[in-house]
Amino acid sequence: MELIKELLDHINYVGSATLFVIGLYTVLTHSNLLKKVIGINIMETSIFLFFVSIGYISGGITPIIIPGSEDIIYVNPLPSTLILTGIVVALSITAYSLSLIMRLYKEYGTLDMDKIMELRSDGQDE
Amino acid sequence: MNSIHYPIIIMLLFLIVGVSNPVIKKKFDNIEKSILMSTFFVAIALAFYTFLYVNIEGPFFYNFGNWGRKFGIEFAIDGFSSLLSLLILILSAIIVWYSFRDIGHEMDDENFISYYTIVFLLIFSMLGITFSNDLFNIYVFMEILSLTSCGIISIKHKRVNFLASFRYLILNTLGSLSFFFGIALLYMVTGHLNIVEMNIAIQEVWQVTPTNILLATGFMFIGLAIKSALFPMHVWLPDAHSSAPSPSSALLSGLVVKVYIFTMAKIVFNVLGKEISQALDIDLFLSIFAAISMIMGSIFAIAQKDIKRMLAYSSVAQIGYMFLGIGIATELGLAAGFFHIFSHALMKSALFLSAGAIIYKKDLRDISRFDGLGYELPISMSVFTIAALGMIGIPGIVGFMSKFYLAEAVILAGKPYYVVVILLSSFLNAVYYLPIIISAFIKKDPDREKILEIDDIPRSMYTSMIIIGFCMILFGMFPNLLMNTIINVVPTFIN
Repeated sequence: MELIKELLDHINYVGSATLFVIGLYTVLTHSNLLKKVIGINIMETSIFLFFVSIGYISGGITPIIIPGSEDIIYVNPLPSTLILTGIVVALSITAYSLSLIMRLYKEYGTLDMDKIMELRSDGQDE
Repeated sequence: MNSIHYPIIIMLLFLIVGVSNPVIKKKFDNIEKSILMSTFFVAIALAFYTFLYVNIEGPFFYNFGNWGRKFGIEFAIDGFSSLLSLLILILSAIIVWYSFRDIGHEMDDENFISYYTIVFLLIFSMLGITFSNDLFNIYVFMEILSLTSCGIISIKHKRVNFLASFRYLILNTLGSLSFFFGIALLYMVTGHLNIVEMNIAIQEVWQVTPTNILLATGFMFIGLAIKSALFPMHVWLPDAHSSAPSPSSALLSGLVVKVYIFTMAKIVFNVLGKEISQALDIDLFLSIFAAISMIMGSIFAIAQKDIKRMLAYSSVAQIGYMFLGIGIATELGLAAGFFHIFSHALMKSALFLSAGAIIYKKDLRDISRFDGLGYELPISMSVFTIAALGMIGIPGIVGFMSKFYLAEAVILAGKPYYVVVILLSSFLNAVYYLPIIISAFIKKDPDREKILEIDDIPRSMYTSMIIIGFCMILFGMFPNLLMNTIINVVPTFIN
């Protein structure tokens, strides 16, 4: 019971760790190039979730100062702002990798990494 | 103007010139070349002034907008970061000077200007990582660096390049995300992102949450090891470095991986501190990975037939030396590791540039066909020979001094078994570098007519190679020019 309670209390951390592993598994085991990019995106999302969960305080409110009220607990706004930057970075990486995938499809005629490696070992490059 | 602003001015200069260049210029001509070179000239002058200023006045912190350490972004300009920024600027200026003629051979005309935009953003992000004193900032610069370093590979429109670039991008992103997860874990414990504040917080709490800190360091180490191609995580490097245009390979192998190693040193010594990292056995992990990398990189290099692939695997081995320097964690050990950052940057860029000259002139990548090449391309092959002898560790060249310092540090630290690893790695280096030198200068090419001719390559290419070759011998003969500065800086890391 103790364990289940612990897990439920930290459900955000457990969830983000699970998502991280799912993403990593997708990147490493799938040979489809698009699925690799999707895996990368899942990993990125898991870290965003983790970061935002660190800053969350239960019962806290949006960090906008209301004049005249003293005893209000605010949510830590810094992780959320950092994640905004993180999202931009993730977007640019996705865009660049998708453009590379388009080029690769034009050159090799397939999206399968294993088939591309086969074509390479047949010595059709250069 | 106050000279504390110079580092940020250098970075802004590269950002502005890099981004505005494709907008204002349509054609790649002499005006464009002079804009690029004068940017480098101004940046080197400012960086040199900063370097002198730091050495006289002492290191300083630069706060953006005076926000203070806890809220704002901060740069730490100390002796080593100013020295590393000077190396980055000078070496990339030489490589860009070399590339003016070489890129015509490597890529389409319409891509020239965009190539230099990417190179300038690459230099911008390397300087950012070097100066930054804030882990999240380092992460953002790291992502810019991984995008741009993939960009300078895929700009050569061949299918091999797209594939190499894609694999590099995926592994690089895995590395960045791993590093980011490490930052998140450390932020969870400390509540800060600034390195100085983090260090203070960690010293208070590390005994309460050692698992968390060990996990965070593990994630960060894996991330940086993927990016700097330590042995089991090196799979992207041979393809990426060998298919890229030669100037890009020199930039990637000579400078980009070094920045990640410096980041590792920052994390081990500045964020955690020496005592905590030793209590958590982080130095042991680093040394073991480094030793395996030193041996395995050389063994893989022996089997290669393509010259640029061989040089790429040789980088894997050399990166082991620098990680070993961090792993020993004594003052001399760290100094030797830092010294090797400089010597390897010089030697590996010289090797890639001379290999580029051989490919430019003869279109030759296969090592077994190098017979008699020393008489056709005497300047390129001489520079290649100097650098290769330095890699093996012949006295008088800069590579010998870094091995010497490293061996001394290992013995003084009471770990003499690493001397065996260093000697074995040097011996393996000799196994794959010496045959090239012998076949180039001693064997005879049956088709050759003239006895000796001077390299028929553009002037910008051989002048840049001669400058690097001269620097290798200069710092080999007088290593104290560099070592004195490094020795002065190292105590700020260790204590």
